[in-house]
Amino acid sequence: MEQIQYYYFNLPIMRDALPTMLHGLGLTVLMALTTVAMGVGAGLLLAILRSYPSRWIRWPIICFVDVFRSLPQLVIIILIYFALPYAGIEFSPFWSTVLGLSLVLAAFAQESFWAGITATPRGQWEAATATGLSHTATVLFVVLPPAIKTSIPSLTNRIIAVTKGTALGSAVAVQELLAHAQSIQSVVANPSPLTLGALLYMAIFAPMVAFSRWLEWRYRWSR
Amino acid sequence: MTSAPVLQISDLRKSFGSEEVLKGVNLTVQRGEVVVLLGSSGSGKSTFLRCINRLEEPTSGSITLNGNSVTASNANLRTLRKQIGMVFQSFNLYPHLTALKNITLALRLSLGQTRQAAEEQAKHMLAQVGLAEKAHAHPSELSGGQQQRVAIARALALEPQVMLFDEPTSALDPELVGSVLEVIRLLRQRHMTMVIVTHELGFAREAADRIIMMDKGEIVEEGPPEQLFTAPKHPRTREFLKHFTGR
Ligand SMILES: Nc1ncnc2c1ncn2[C@@H]1O[C@H](COP(=O)(O)OP(=O)(O)OP(=O)(O)O)[C@@H](O)[C@H]1O
Ligand SMILES: [Mg+2]
Repeated sequence: MEQIQYYYFNLPIMRDALPTMLHGLGLTVLMALTTVAMGVGAGLLLAILRSYPSRWIRWPIICFVDVFRSLPQLVIIILIYFALPYAGIEFSPFWSTVLGLSLVLAAFAQESFWAGITATPRGQWEAATATGLSHTATVLFVVLPPAIKTSIPSLTNRIIAVTKGTALGSAVAVQELLAHAQSIQSVVANPSPLTLGALLYMAIFAPMVAFSRWLEWRYRWSR
Repeated sequence: MTSAPVLQISDLRKSFGSEEVLKGVNLTVQRGEVVVLLGSSGSGKSTFLRCINRLEEPTSGSITLNGNSVTASNANLRTLRKQIGMVFQSFNLYPHLTALKNITLALRLSLGQTRQAAEEQAKHMLAQVGLAEKAHAHPSELSGGQQQRVAIARALALEPQVMLFDEPTSALDPELVGSVLEVIRLLRQRHMTMVIVTHELGFAREAADRIIMMDKGEIVEEGPPEQLFTAPKHPRTREFLKHFTGR
């Protein structure tokens, strides 16, 4: 019992590690927020574009989405960080991670929004078309508002799943939460900083998970 | 003055795959005329109406609205659609918008009206259909009859040349049908040109200037209501009337 406490819940070590780790936490949160903004924004844009009746728009979007839904996030981040420089394109570790995760989130968010768009009854499109609205106006003002509402539960789940991937940034040396936990852990030869890291991850993601539960619950009863 | 046709439809054909649903329909509607379209289920009435504003793409044939071709490949569809009001069986109101905003949306986006002008016009339209006090209600807070009247107001607000109604009362509880028919009667008094698909035969008889009987994608009989109801010529018309009045 004491062994467990010493190795995993060593409070003095945790106390010393905390300031540095909070620094890492800040970067994790920053990466997560940037990823959400870029990924959800791009996903929404792609879903809107996909609704246009042109296969030259639709096809590339479907390809993009399927590629980024199937590649592991770590592979994408590593490719951006280690492979793109050979083509003369360089991103910092921070932006490699954020860009990689944003691409993945954009693909999944597109699917969520698209599901909402296709769930819109045909009569909504027809009523708008019959009153002379353009396709763009119909999508923006008639179809999207309810579609976004429909897509929120699945979108929230995706956001949680993808933003947790910020921990992968440690693989390309972003000094985020997990990277700090690992380096302190090797210095003090005690895994307690990792426990602290896990607790800090919980502190940011548990509220999001609770929020998504609440959303699902609310949606179930509002139908 | 009544000689200028608003709608002129000739040899309209529509196929879904190999099934020909409209087999060369001809119809001319004069200004201020009320035409009621009857026909059993699947005879092509909805498809016919939906071809008029090209919600459904006709396979062949021509349609003109006030002399302007709707079917030409270079037709300005958005402009033409604004002049063709359409009312659907299932209302198709926008659920996230209030009654007022359901009406102002097209006024602002299709006609480019200012917000203030659009709201004034929308309130005026709501008052006409007897729903002035429901301007800020969402569709889910309205009865079916009220929803349909908002939908009519939405189409009317654009001041169309012709109104198309596809079974406007079929989705309503019997006690709500009257309020919607009342609005259509009012439009008739104001000489609105209308093409109405309905199974309300009493209303058809009273409100129509002309009745068209459709069967399997063709017009099999047409004439003034008295003639069609009292002395139907085509066997399908007789059968149809017997079926619907016998209920
Ligand atoms: N989008 C479509 N794709 C394939 N077939 C269709 C489509 N729309 C209509 N049809 C077919 O066309 C025929 C005519 O349908 P339509 O809806 O015009 O009939 P209707 O006279 O309006 O019938 P109802 O009184 O039931 O509304 C039917 O056989 C129907 O199955
Ligand atoms: Mg029909």
